[in-house]
Amino acid sequence: MPETTQFSGNGSDNNQDTTLKANFVLQNRYKIMGVLGGGGMGTVDQARDLNFTDVRRLVAIKEMHTLATDGALRASMLKTFRREANILAALSHPAIVKIYDYFDLNDRAYLVMEYVNGSDVELLISKTKELPPEKILEWAIDLCDVLEYLHSQNPPIVFRDMKPSNVMIDSLGKVRLIDFGIAKTFVSGVKHTMIGTEGYSAPEQYKGDVTPQSDIYSLGATLHHILTRKDPRLEPPFSFHERPIQDYNPNVHPGMVTIIEKALSFKVEDRFASCAEMKAALEALRYRPTLTNAPVPVTNGGRPVSTPTASVGVSNGAAASSAAPVAVPKAATEFFDEATGTSGEVQPRWTFKTEDEIRCSPTAIRDLAFVGSYDSNVWALNLDTGQQVWKYATKAGIASSPVIDDTNRMVMFGSEDNTFYAVDYRSGRLNWSHTTKDRVRGTARVEHGHVFFGSDDGKVYALGAANGRVLWSYDTTAPVRGRPFVTNELVIFGSETGEVFAVTLSGARKWSYRTRRGVISSPYVDTKEGICYIGSTDGFMYALDAANGYNSWRFRTNGPIISSPVESKGLLYFSSADGFVYAINAQSAREKWKFQTEKPVVASPLVHKDLVYIGGTDHYFYCLSADTGKERWKFKTNGPITSTACIMGEVILVGSMDHVVYALPLVS
Amino acid sequence: MNLFRRLFSQEKDGDPAMPPEITKVEKATDPLTMPPTTATLNVMFGDGATRPLPEDALIAFMGNGHLTFGQATDIGMVRTNNQDSAYSFFSTSRSVDERPDFGLFLVADGMGGHSDGEKASSLTARTVATTVISTIFMPVLIGNTENQPPISEALTAAIEKANAEVIKHVPDGGTTLTSAVIIGDLAYIAHVGDSRIYLINKDSIEQLTRDHSLVQRLIELDQLTPAEAADHPNKNMLYRALGQNEAVEIDTLTRRLPPKSKLLLCCDGLWNQVDDREMLDITKQTPNPQEACNKLIALANKRGGVDNVTVILLQMPG
Repeated sequence: MPETTQFSGNGSDNNQDTTLKANFVLQNRYKIMGVLGGGGMGTVDQARDLNFTDVRRLVAIKEMHTLATDGALRASMLKTFRREANILAALSHPAIVKIYDYFDLNDRAYLVMEYVNGSDVELLISKTKELPPEKILEWAIDLCDVLEYLHSQNPPIVFRDMKPSNVMIDSLGKVRLIDFGIAKTFVSGVKHTMIGTEGYSAPEQYKGDVTPQSDIYSLGATLHHILTRKDPRLEPPFSFHERPIQDYNPNVHPGMVTIIEKALSFKVEDRFASCAEMKAALEALRYRPTLTNAPVPVTNGGRPVSTPTASVGVSNGAAASSAAPVAVPKAATEFFDEATGTSGEVQPRWTFKTEDEIRCSPTAIRDLAFVGSYDSNVWALNLDTGQQVWKYATKAGIASSPVIDDTNRMVMFGSEDNTFYAVDYRSGRLNWSHTTKDRVRGTARVEHGHVFFGSDDGKVYALGAANGRVLWSYDTTAPVRGRPFVTNELVIFGSETGEVFAVTLSGARKWSYRTRRGVISSPYVDTKEGICYIGSTDGFMYALDAANGYNSWRFRTNGPIISSPVESKGLLYFSSADGFVYAINAQSAREKWKFQTEKPVVASPLVHKDLVYIGGTDHYFYCLSADTGKERWKFKTNGPITSTACIMGEVILVGSMDHVVYALPLVS
Repeated sequence: MNLFRRLFSQEKDGDPAMPPEITKVEKATDPLTMPPTTATLNVMFGDGATRPLPEDALIAFMGNGHLTFGQATDIGMVRTNNQDSAYSFFSTSRSVDERPDFGLFLVADGMGGHSDGEKASSLTARTVATTVISTIFMPVLIGNTENQPPISEALTAAIEKANAEVIKHVPDGGTTLTSAVIIGDLAYIAHVGDSRIYLINKDSIEQLTRDHSLVQRLIELDQLTPAEAADHPNKNMLYRALGQNEAVEIDTLTRRLPPKSKLLLCCDGLWNQVDDREMLDITKQTPNPQEACNKLIALANKRGGVDNVTVILLQMPG
């Protein structure tokens, strides 16, 4: 398909057919020294002006050469070239190269300009490891100044090709703009054909609309490239917001980041109204120390780039920790203030203090809540008042979350006394129990009239839910602490051996998959797609084909994953001991957002009505937007939270290692 | 002969309701007129003997068990060469090992002057095919998937290898690459460029891949409407393709293919000429996937055939 074209990797032309040879003297005056480069539609040569015999005065000569034989095309190109000459000749600004001469000769056109001894910024980027932020700020201010000068001409001139290779830094460290090959006087409302360098051009330029604010976008793109060193020509168009500057360069002043993001807004009206306005914002950063939380002097400072996706990377994290150096105003908490009309503090409806740490998740049915505590008891509480209804004492701590079997009116849980208990949930009387050879820390799953749970003795047990009769047990040879997932065909669970096992409902091995470290995370199976998601302490989240165990993808985090994933609307939510809560696309494993807490996260997220609820070992219980990962509110307990919350009616139950279970109001 | 007899007997013992698998039925276009009754099945296989199957039995059991596919490509009405490449590979087996069906299907649309486009796409097709067969298919067939990388990663690695090969051997060429590895009924898709994969269900068609084209980006950013995009001057400008850069970002996704669903792989030569609705209608009305591919190409050519056209259509059993 020859019609399909590629974005060229570099804008420069092929200069092999240079017509001016070294030592050639043009017009008895300019002695050619060599080629400087190519740009726009011509070659640029360095030459010496022989009129100045005593000094070595160097000039740059731009020659327009064309291989076009078509007369009309030639004429059009010559016209463009002459226009560049005329534009330049009429301008006077320290950052714009001076023009000395223009002439036609043998069907060719020549433009004699001031020779700038220096290096273009593209070359500077490739030759250095890092450029000093103060310098970049000064360049940005100077570029705003020269663009403002161009835009304030009558009619305004739009440079249209702002990019690192068109910016020279001269021997004095000053910015010089070169290549006015495509600069155009701006006539409002007239659509021009699209020219410009892909990667730096503003979205509206592809529709043929060019305004002075297109230059602001390209300046933003240029600064983004300089600071991140990520060449936008190698990235999807208009994807700057997917590469937050501070991810690549933490030394950049947050105010600078905000200014560049504003310049890179997709919508013209969201950018700075003029280069003068952008310049003023940049100048205000001059004497500030880097890395401060001071508000940024931009009219709507802190406002992220104007798309829903864009807001993820920008605002995320700012509210998560006060240490994050992104200057987002109190937007993150405004939502909550509005929602509750209070000071923003979540007040629990009730709390209940057990006698030891709460390590497992609470559960509830109708008006009863159940909480297992390391004090060896399972407590049944009134869901409305938090008053104790009964408690069931085992002989050791409880780390396995109670689960409900509504058919048999039982609550079931394991204990570190090696026994698994099934207790009548109304009365708290024991129905049956089953003793294994080691502690039972795994949470059970009730399905198909049976209960499935793992034990530290290495086995997964399938017992009749009504009577505890053993259907089968499957030996993995190492502790099973996750909660089995039961589909219509398979029971899937992980083991400390590092393997994920799938056994049939009759207990026969169907497949296994080996991760590199122990698996504590519980599998989550998207039964519609037939994909099993499970985390491993090797740091990866895995997607396995539930039918055969083939590994579809894995997603790396920087810490062990103990948390169990949950899928909702195509996104997979989980946390990692690296301190982040993640949301990734379940089909492509692409990260949608991540939310940073202050300590490792081992709890599993709960997704309810477009909100994600999760507790951290930093003592906080967070409520995040499921779509963006933005914090809606958080609630502080007095200990690490390691278990999943439970929502029943209008209440969220959260257990903390501070011994307390909190019943928080469900704020919609 | 004894071996055949044994196999037949075993089928009968194992699951009397299931007839032995019939691997290939050519006349798939014929309507399914005569579903077998239990009585006829008993008559046919009651004694476990090997004998030629009656003609209507062939028809009755067709499509039982695994996917069928068609593949077609055409130079179009305007071009002087076909720069597209297509590759299809499918393996199915029946044994106590219970290996899942395996398939690899890909479409590559080459670009570049002279013959660089077709060189880039054929080199890509060849490299991806050989790599996928050795790194994904062979371990599945051998049954040694324990220490293998995830399928998406292995598929990505194969495409990265193809990218390096194109840069090395066809420096002035480039190509799109849209590929699907099928294991059982799960599709592992990897994609670069503007060739597409559609998932077709009973009455819906869904584009699974996202074009890496400038206009698509503009549409995603609400800067362009799909209608405006249709006649945009830079309609075919890609921002990502194989053979352009040492580092290439490859989109991957996995999708379960529901029973009776279809997967359509095609290059822009098809989707520029034939809209989604027409693809849905033609594939719905044409049960034989090869015939459906031919019809799609004929329609693209009827509309002018300005570009090469390549189509692969997979049909899942139901």
